[in-house]
Parts: sequence; C-alpha cells; structure tokens
Amino acid sequence: MSPDSPQGQGSPKPHVKALNCPKCGASITLRALGQGVSVVCESCHSILDTKDQQLQILQTFEKITSSDPPLIPLGTRGKIRGTDYEVIGFERRAIVVDYESYHWHEYVLFNPYKGFRYLTEYQGHWNDVANCKELPSVDPRLSTPYGANYLGEIYKHFQTAEAKTEFVLGEFPWEVRVGESARLTDYIHPPRVLSCEQTSKEITWSIGEYVYGRDIWSAFRLGGNPPPSVGIYENEPSPFSANLTAVWMGFAAFTIALLAIMIGFSLSATNQPVFQSNYQFNRGESGGEVSFVTDTFELGGRTSDVEVTTSASLRNQWIYLNYALINQDSGEAWDFGREVSYYSGYDSDGSWSEGSNTDSVVVPTVPPGKYYLRIEPESDPRHSTLSYSVAVRRDVPVASFYGIGFLALLLPAILITWCSASFERSRWSESDHPPARIFKTESE
Amino acid sequence: MIRKIYLIYGLTVLGAVGVAQYRGWSLDSMNQLKNVPKSVRDNPGSYRSVYSSYHHYTGGK
Repeated sequence: MSPDSPQGQGSPKPHVKALNCPKCGASITLRALGQGVSVVCESCHSILDTKDQQLQILQTFEKITSSDPPLIPLGTRGKIRGTDYEVIGFERRAIVVDYESYHWHEYVLFNPYKGFRYLTEYQGHWNDVANCKELPSVDPRLSTPYGANYLGEIYKHFQTAEAKTEFVLGEFPWEVRVGESARLTDYIHPPRVLSCEQTSKEITWSIGEYVYGRDIWSAFRLGGNPPPSVGIYENEPSPFSANLTAVWMGFAAFTIALLAIMIGFSLSATNQPVFQSNYQFNRGESGGEVSFVTDTFELGGRTSDVEVTTSASLRNQWIYLNYALINQDSGEAWDFGREVSYYSGYDSDGSWSEGSNTDSVVVPTVPPGKYYLRIEPESDPRHSTLSYSVAVRRDVPVASFYGIGFLALLLPAILITWCSASFERSRWSESDHPPARIFKTESE
Repeated sequence: MIRKIYLIYGLTVLGAVGVAQYRGWSLDSMNQLKNVPKSVRDNPGSYRSVYSSYHHYTGGK
C-alpha cells in the first residue's frame, strides 16, 4: 500500500484518464493515475496493470459476487476526517476459522493530495483504516497473551488468520490478485485496531478506527439506511467500559455525599422525647372495652416524623396494640397496629428465641400540634396481666433510607459493570483468546 | 451518556433521601384518616381501628 502523499511534497499530481479494456473493450476510468498499480475491468473482471501503457492483463477471474455488490458504489465521493475521498476499489476477502468462512469487504479510497485510505465492513461494522505512520513494536511482555505498541498505546492481540482475496473491482495501489493469501494479525485497543498483513513479499501495518454505519452513510451521502450491525466486532467501542471508571468514581462520591447527609441529619434531628407512660393490660379487669386514650402531648417544630416505641416484659407471650395518633384540634389521625412478641425455649437443637420485647414504628410527616394516642391492646387470653410502656419521640432519623439510597446507587454501578463484562466476553469469544482460555494463558 | 444518566440518577437518589429525611417519610405501613370526631377523646370505644381485624401470631418455634 502506498503511503499518504501530502500536498506539494514531490508526488506527481494524479489525474483521471479513460482507457479501454484490452480484453473486452469496455471503457475503464483510471482515477488514481500515477498512484494506482492495478485496475479491474468492471465488465469482464480482468485485472490490468496500470503501470503498463497497454494495460497488460495480469489476471482474469469469473464474476462470483453478483449477489454481493459494493455497498458504496465505485466513484462515490465522501468526506472522511474533513478530506474528500473517492471510492476507487473494492475487494472481498475471507478467513476460515474452525471450518467456517468469514467474509468482509474493503473499499479503497483515494484523494489526489492525501493518497489512499481504506474502509472495511464486516456485518455492518465499519473501520476507517490508514497506513501506520511508524512501525509498531510487538513484544510478548506488553500484554497478555501478547500485544503491540503503536505510538505509545498498547494493543492486545486479538486474532491471527490466513486471509484470501475472493473478489476485486476497481483500482488498487498494489498488484491485486484474486486468490492471493496474506497472514492477518489484529491487535485491538477499542475503538482502534492495529493490523499486520504479511505476504511472502512484504509486511504492511495499518491502523483502523471503528466507525458507525450511519456516519459512513452520512459521509458519502448514501440513500437508505446502512445494514444493521450484527454481534460485537473486535474493536467496537463498548458503551459500558468507557464509562465504568467514571460510574464507580461517581458511586464513591455519591456514597460520601450520602454519609454527609446522614451525619448532617443525625446531628440536626431533634430526636425529642415527647411522651412516655407505663401501662398494665388486665383482661379480667377491663370488662368489655379495653381501649383508652393517653394524655395530650405537644409535637413541635416543622412537619417531620414521630416514632412510637412499645416495650413489654414478655415470656412466650404476645401483645398487639391498635394505635391511633390523633391531632386533638384537626381530627387528623394515623392508624396503625403493632405486635410485640417474644418466645424462647429449649429443644434438641439447643436454646432458641424469636421476637423481641420492643417494637418501634415511625409515623410519617406529622405536622406540629397537640396530639394524643388512642390505644387498644389485645393479647393471648391465657395470660391475664401484661405490663408495657409506650414512648413517643419527635423528629427521628430513619436509617433505612440511607440503606435504600446506598443500594439504589450501588445496583446501577453493578449492572453497568456486569454489562461491560458481558460485552467484553462477547468480544473476546470471537478471538484467538476466548474468555474460558484467557486465565489458562495468563497462568502459563 | 451513561455517565450523565448515572450522575442525574445519583443526584436524584441523594435528593430523595434528603427530602425523605427532612419531611419525615416512613417505610412503615399505616392508614391516614381525616376528621376523627373529638368525642373519641372522651369515649375511646367509639373509634374502631382499621387494624383491629389483624390476625395475631400465637406461635413460637
């Protein structure tokens, strides 16, 4: 492949020339005259030597791609990285892995002042490819399993395979042949791919960058929509991996902020005791009605929560209390029931216990005012007398919100990490180092 | 994009936790009633609790 030729640095200025195919007589347009090496007749598919004035026939081949035409027609012009290029060549190549053939397409782009550039397409995945400006270095110590260093960036080896050219069309800056083979080695650092193409005559390094089909369609002003991409390509940028560090840093920052909020509210909460009283529940004495009301108590400050704590001395007993926190003036009430139970014993597994002698409930968003509690106790009829106490506190911090907040922050970060790992697993499953073998290779 | 979404989401979570604490929200289940008659203060039996039909656990291990 020819290196880029900047303007005014001595390269002969290319120009367009129309010729006829020496085999079939069809007209042939040489778009990169002076820089192209071979051209393929679009009519009879003879590969012609453009260096020869008579367009010597280098090879002829049967047209085998009628059902696989170029997605970007030859002669189409488009803007890549701010430079106008014309599509002058097209080839289809294939590799065979595990007896399965994988095909992709390559387009040769040409600009008279910038030289050649290439586009590759595989199942809707596109790469913008150019020749390397420097020779990359391959060092087994660079990465596992081994990698290449190009301009200070480490690329991981992805795949090595024998590629065969199946079909060619248009002009090429090298002596193209159908059936020719090259050993292709790809190293990746998404969204870039470093490719080494080795033949018996030469070794060529190129650097590619993943491009979305919609951007190619837009650059070349093509009609319709690009073919949808299938699967995950070797250097396709992961939408998750690029954000992973930022998301975890965000999680750390949010957790610190959550702690600050917790400390702030814990310090500022009044947690003020407003009522406390002890009671005895005697089923025998109550006659019929067991409900009663407490003295009124003042809930001050702004609208906030109220904690009602019930404590009872229980031994294999339960007590259930129907509570109503009632605003003496407005008649607004919060109705709730709480059970306090405690059981213990001893069996073949040893001693056991369940339940608790204390229960707390938080009544939400209670405006300031004068309140009282209506309490209606119930208990096991077998136990006649039960002692219990009721305590009320105003503006109590609720720890469970911090736990929920922490989980709400943590779960998306875990989900994004899982998606990222899944994306990378899919990517590497198509490589010479599928995930199941990576660890084995690392330990070797 | 994911970064921005997570940033907005995280700020929303922190905001919700802050509002929940400031306003005194609760995760406990209860029924809010309006206009409970003042006579309940003198006659507690005239009020019937929503939770009075609760089925009590009478077990142990």
